[in-house]
Amino acid sequence: MGLFDILSALGGGFASAITPAHLAWALAGVTLGTAVGVLPGIGPALTIAVLLPVTFSLDPLSAFIAFGGIYYGAMYGGSTTSILLNTPGETGSIATAIDGYMMARQGRGAAALTTAAVGSFVAGTLATTALAFFAPMLASVALRFGSAEYFALTIVAFTTVSALLGDSLARGLFSLFLGLALGLIGIDPLTGVARFSFGIPQLLDGIDVVILVIGLFAVGETIYQAWRYGREPLEAIMLHDFTGMSREEWRRSWKPWLRGTAIGFPLGVLPCGGTVIPTFLSYLTEKRLSDTPERFGRGAIEGVAGPEAANNAAAAGVLVPLLTLGLPSSATAAIMLAAFQQYGLQPGPLLFTSQPDLVWTLIASLFIGNVMLLVLNLPLAGVWARVMLVPRPLLFGGVLVLASLGAYTLNRSLLDLGLLYGVGAIGCLMRVHDFPLVPAVLGLILGPLSEQHFRRAMAISEGDVSIFVTRPLTASLLLAAAAVLVLPSLWKRKKG
Amino acid sequence: MGIRLRSCGLAATLAVLTAASPAAAQNPPEHLRLVAPAAPGGGWDQTARVMQHALQQAGIARTVSVENIPGAAGLIGLARFVGSEQGSGDTLMVSGLIMLGAIVTQRSPITLREVTSIARLTGEYEVLAVPAASPIRSLDDLIRAFTQRPEAISWGGGSAGGSDQILAGLIADAVGVAPRRVNYIAFSGGGESLSAILGGQVSVGINGLAEFAPQIDAGTIRPLAISSAERLPGLDVPTLREQGIDLEFENWRSVVAPPGIDAAERRYLEGVVEAMVRSEAWRDALTRYRWLDRYLAGAEFERFADTEHARVQRILQQLGTTAKESSAAPGLYPLFVLGGLVLLGLAAVVPAIRRRPVIPSQTAVRGWRSVGLIAAGGFLDVLFAERLGFIIASAVLFWLVARAFDERRPVRDALFAVAVSVAAYLLFGRVLDLPLPAGVLAF
Repeated sequence: MGLFDILSALGGGFASAITPAHLAWALAGVTLGTAVGVLPGIGPALTIAVLLPVTFSLDPLSAFIAFGGIYYGAMYGGSTTSILLNTPGETGSIATAIDGYMMARQGRGAAALTTAAVGSFVAGTLATTALAFFAPMLASVALRFGSAEYFALTIVAFTTVSALLGDSLARGLFSLFLGLALGLIGIDPLTGVARFSFGIPQLLDGIDVVILVIGLFAVGETIYQAWRYGREPLEAIMLHDFTGMSREEWRRSWKPWLRGTAIGFPLGVLPCGGTVIPTFLSYLTEKRLSDTPERFGRGAIEGVAGPEAANNAAAAGVLVPLLTLGLPSSATAAIMLAAFQQYGLQPGPLLFTSQPDLVWTLIASLFIGNVMLLVLNLPLAGVWARVMLVPRPLLFGGVLVLASLGAYTLNRSLLDLGLLYGVGAIGCLMRVHDFPLVPAVLGLILGPLSEQHFRRAMAISEGDVSIFVTRPLTASLLLAAAAVLVLPSLWKRKKG
Repeated sequence: MGIRLRSCGLAATLAVLTAASPAAAQNPPEHLRLVAPAAPGGGWDQTARVMQHALQQAGIARTVSVENIPGAAGLIGLARFVGSEQGSGDTLMVSGLIMLGAIVTQRSPITLREVTSIARLTGEYEVLAVPAASPIRSLDDLIRAFTQRPEAISWGGGSAGGSDQILAGLIADAVGVAPRRVNYIAFSGGGESLSAILGGQVSVGINGLAEFAPQIDAGTIRPLAISSAERLPGLDVPTLREQGIDLEFENWRSVVAPPGIDAAERRYLEGVVEAMVRSEAWRDALTRYRWLDRYLAGAEFERFADTEHARVQRILQQLGTTAKESSAAPGLYPLFVLGGLVLLGLAAVVPAIRRRPVIPSQTAVRGWRSVGLIAAGGFLDVLFAERLGFIIASAVLFWLVARAFDERRPVRDALFAVAVSVAAYLLFGRVLDLPLPAGVLAF
C-alpha cells in the first residue's frame, strides 16, 4: 500500500466512522472505558470479556468501535485513580501513581490530571497515526511469514512477557507454563486426539480464554482486595478547584509527551505484554534526563506526563501485531482476538485486504475516540473522581455478578462457572505471591498456536530442525528470545 | 429453564406450520444459532454465513448468529455440539464430507450418528493451485516433481482426513505414488491454508473452488486443475481428467441438529432448512459461489450419510492415509509443558510460599473471614445458578461478596444485591436476550 492508498483508505474510514450510529458507539465505548479505568479492580480486558456475549447480535463494526473506545478510554481513566487515590486503576498507570499522587497531595491534582489527559491525547493521536501507516506495511511483509516465523514470534512473546513482567524470571515462567498447561486441555487441532479432557465432554474444546481472564482479573482481584483491605475505607484526595496547568508546567510536559510516545509505540508493537514496561521505561528516562532528578517521587510533573503518554502510545502499538499477525501481546488484545473470531474474522495479514472497511473504520474511530476522551476527561475530571468512590462492597459485589453472568452465558455451562471461581482462587494466590498474571493468559491463547506452527514447520521441512536456524528472520527472532531470557540475569550479576 | 420452554413453545407453533414447510416463514422465530465448526474464511464458514444471510433475508428467522469453533476438521465443534448443545432446538451446525473423513481418520468416539441429521445442502469441486510466482507452471510440472521426490512436494489444505487430503491421496494413487508418501500439511480451515498457499509456505494447495475463486480472479494464484468431470463454463481451468488423471471428486456439505431434540423440534428445523434452500438469496449464493445444489433431506439423507461413511472408510483404508504425524510427536510437547511446570513450580512456588506473602494482609483473621465469604458466594453461585435461577444465585453472591468488604450495613447490601440482580437479569436476559436461567422465579 502506498502513502496515497493509506490516506484514501483512512478517509473512507472517517466517512464511515462519522455516521451518527458509529459516533454513538464510540461515545458509549469511551465513556464505559473511562469508567472501568477509573474503578480499581476492573479493566478493559474484563469489560470486553463480559460484553462479548452481549455484543453477539450487534454488527461487528459497531462492536469493535465500542471495544476500541473501551480500550483507549481505560488508559485515560486509569490515571485519575492513580493520581487521586494512589491505587492504579490499570496496570499501565502504576508509574503515574508515583508522582501523580504526590502532586495531588500538594494541591496540584488538577495539573496532574491535565498533563495526563493532554499527554494521553497527544500520544494517542500520534501513535494511532503510526498504526495507520505501519500496520499495512507490516501486513504485506507478514504474508511471507511461514510457520517457522510465527513459531519464533510466539517464543519471543513468551520470553519477553515472562522475563520482563514482574521481578522474577522463575515466577514469570511459572505463570506462562500454567497458561501453556491449560492450553493443552482439549482436542489437538492438528490430529484430533483429545488431551487432558478427563472424559468430560465440555473440556474437549478446551478452556476458554474469556474464563481465564475473568477468573484471574475479576474474581482473583476481588478476593485479593477483600483479603488485603477488607473494610478499610478508601482515602481519596478530592479536587476542590480546577486550575489546570501553569505555563511552566506546559513547558515541562511537552517533551516528556513526545518521548513517552516514542518509547511507548515501538514497545507496544513488540510483543512485551502491553503497557507496563513502556511506562516504567518512560519514567526512568525522564528521571535520567532531568536536571533535577531529586524532584522525582516528590511530585515531578514529567513523571506523570511521560508514562501517561507512553501507556496510550503502547496501547495503539499493541494493535499492530494483533491486526496484522493475529498475535495478541496483552490480556486485552487476547480478548479482542477472541472477539474477532466470534464474528468470523481472522486477524492476520489478509485482514487489511479482506475487511478493509472494518479495519479503517476502526482506526478512524480510534482517532475520534481520542478527541472525545480529551473532552470527556478535561472538564469532567471532577465527575470521574466521584465515580471511583463507589463503596467497595457494592463495586465488587457488582463485579462478581457481572463476572459470573459473563462466564455462564459463554457456553451455558456450570462447569465454566466452577472453573471461574477455581481460576479466581489461583489468581488471588498469584497476586499475593507477586506472580504476573499476563503470561498465563498469553500462554493459554498462544500456546496451542505455537505448538501447531512448530509441528507444521517441522512437517514442511520434512523433520529437519535446521529450518529454525537457516531462515534469517526465524533465527534472529529466536536469538532475541534467548537474549531476553539470559541478558537480565547476566547484567544483574555484573552489577552485583 | 427458560431456554427450553421458549424453544419448545416455538417448536409447537411451528409444528403446525411445517405441514406446508415453506410457510415456516410466516411466523419468524426470534433467534436461530448456526455453528461453523471451522476457522473463518473456509467453506463451512462461508456456508454458515450464506445460510445466515438467506434465513434473515427471506424472513425465516428474525436474527441468526454464527459461531466459529475451529479445529480438528470440525471434531472440536462436533464435541461441543454433542456436549453442551444437547437438546437445543434452535441450533444447527454445518457439517459434511470433511467431518466424516476426520471421524474415520481420527477414530473419533463421537460420530455423525450421534447428531440429528437434517439435510445435505451443497456440493463443491476442488481446485489444485500454486502461488502465481511458483516455479510449478502446470499439473505436469507438479506430477513430474512429485513422482521424482514425493516428500519434497508439500500439499496444503484443510484438516487431516478431510476432502482435501483424500483428493491428494487419490491423485498420488492415480500417478503411481504410494499415498502414504504425500507430505500433507493440515490447516484448520480454508482461510488459514489460503494464507499459507499465497505466502508460498507449501508447494501446492488444495481447496474448494469458492474459497479459491477470488484469488484466481485476482491472479494471485495459478489454478492447475479442477476435480469436475468437465470444464466449468466461464472458468478457464482444465480438469484433472483432461490432463491424464482419471479422477472426479466432489466435496459435499450438510447441516445437522444437536442430539436429544424432540420430533417437533426436528420437523421445525427441517422446515426452516427447506424454506431456506428455496429462497432467492440461497439460489443467488449457489450461483455466486459455484456451489452445486445437492439438497437431500430426511430418510434419504440419512441413508446417503451411512453409505458415505462406509465409502470414506474404504477409501481412507485403501490409501493408508491415517493421521499424519509430523516428525515432532504430539506427545513431546505436553511432556515439555508439564515437566516445565513441575520444575518451575519447585523453583518459584516453594520459595514463594516459604517466604510469606510479598504484600501483607489486613489483620489475618479478618482477611480469612473475607476470603471465606467470597468462597461461599462462589460455591453457592455454582450450586444455585441453574437450580434456583440467575436472580437468586446472583443476589446471594452479591450479598456475600459485599459482606466480605463491609461489616456494618447488611440491610443496605441486601437491598442492593436484589436490585442489581434483578436489573442485570432484565437487562441481559430480557432486553439483550442472553440465555440466563430463570429458575424458580420464572417470569
